Amino acid sequence: MWGIYLHNLLDSFPFFLKGLWVTIQISALSLFMSTVCGFFLGIIRSTRTRSINIVLAAYVDIIRGTPFLVQIFIVFFILPEWGIQLDAFTSAVLSLTIYGTAYICEIVSGGIQTIPRGQTEAAVSSGLTWPQQMRYVIVPQALRPILPPLVGQYVLMIKDTAVVSVIGLTDVTRVGWFTVQRIPEGILVFGLVGILYFLICYPLVWFSNRLETMLSTEKSGLG
Amino acid sequence: MITFKKVNKWFGPLHVLQDINLDIEKSEVAVICGPSGSGKSTLIRCINRLESIQSGELYVDGIPVHDKKTNLIDVRAEIGFVFQQFNLYPHMTVLENVTLAPVKVRKMKPEHAKQIGIELLEKVGIHEKADSYPAQLSGGQQQRVAIARGLAMQPKIMLFDEPTSALDPEMINEVLEVMIQLAKDGMTMIVVTHEMGFAREVGHKVIFMDEGQIVETAPPDDFFDHCKQERTRLFLSKILTH
Repeated sequence: MWGIYLHNLLDSFPFFLKGLWVTIQISALSLFMSTVCGFFLGIIRSTRTRSINIVLAAYVDIIRGTPFLVQIFIVFFILPEWGIQLDAFTSAVLSLTIYGTAYICEIVSGGIQTIPRGQTEAAVSSGLTWPQQMRYVIVPQALRPILPPLVGQYVLMIKDTAVVSVIGLTDVTRVGWFTVQRIPEGILVFGLVGILYFLICYPLVWFSNRLETMLSTEKSGLG
Repeated sequence: MITFKKVNKWFGPLHVLQDINLDIEKSEVAVICGPSGSGKSTLIRCINRLESIQSGELYVDGIPVHDKKTNLIDVRAEIGFVFQQFNLYPHMTVLENVTLAPVKVRKMKPEHAKQIGIELLEKVGIHEKADSYPAQLSGGQQQRVAIARGLAMQPKIMLFDEPTSALDPEMINEVLEVMIQLAKDGMTMIVVTHEMGFAREVGHKVIFMDEGQIVETAPPDDFFDHCKQERTRLFLSKILTH
């Protein structure tokens, strides 16, 4: 039995690669955009300006307090009711970005807050402007606490792209759904889907662990 | 050079600076001492508005620092500030620490800034550590780098907030020597410290603060030998006996 299925599965492999390519595209775009937006908002959030922070905290809480599935439904099905039409791909990238930005914003502002006040005071005293303080003094130091959880967040987001299949995008998970209707051996089909996700995510997991050890030894031994 | 006129500051209900009046002339070296919590650090932190004041006037080189409209970048560029905890940038080399502000604030060419940086590191006796990172230096060395960093902006004023308090005793002198040389070169300095030897050697006036007030101001010799206030006498007896 499995022999035939394996053979069929091998025949469908190009289809899987196509799906994987969609997954990679959606991941890469949304990771990039949520990193940029997350750093931007995280840096602003770390200033503790009251009015801005109320808005940012509300955004972060709402995103973190609702399922991503619901968020993507809102973007894909509800925005059109207000006259904003987006195709499935754009909706997927947009909702993943909104979702990822919230988490990265928290990671970045948390990292920045671990930097001692004296660093800001020294930078302020020497006449650096606020963007210069952030750019040259605070953020480079904050990368140390930011990077490991950031890479971890990337892994979570790549796995969460599986949800985009519900709005009809043929990513690698949806390819699995199609295939399992022809090859009724779920463990085989979704085993392959799982392996493909693992192949993208594992290097990142490894890198994240590596970063953590590297940064902590650097801290004690100083490189 | 620096003028306080009836300056008041509160931290919540705590009245940390009470009607402060103070004049520091160009090239003057003023030493501020007093018990902890007396407001002496707050006082010098107001000068470059690390802390803002709630009433009164504060001028640095004629510029109203208390005025919300004043461009503080220009004021701060003219004032070097040395912290108790050094606050060097740990991710930069010693030389990068010194050249950052001249390049970014003064728009100095990096090569030029490096040259000045090396000269200053020579002046504080630490040029061989130019490419080291702060954590590889002793406390005394770090504080000397911090002084060089302040001087790199070619400031008109240098402020020192307990510069030797975080140092091991054997490192205090190497920092004081640099500060003494600076004073002799004619730098305008305000130093919060309990190093009374420093005050006697190069100080022009000693200011005693207690509970947010300036209790007494006098030239060092008068201050130490014939202070007028009972509170000053009590404080001096505590710090000079050991």
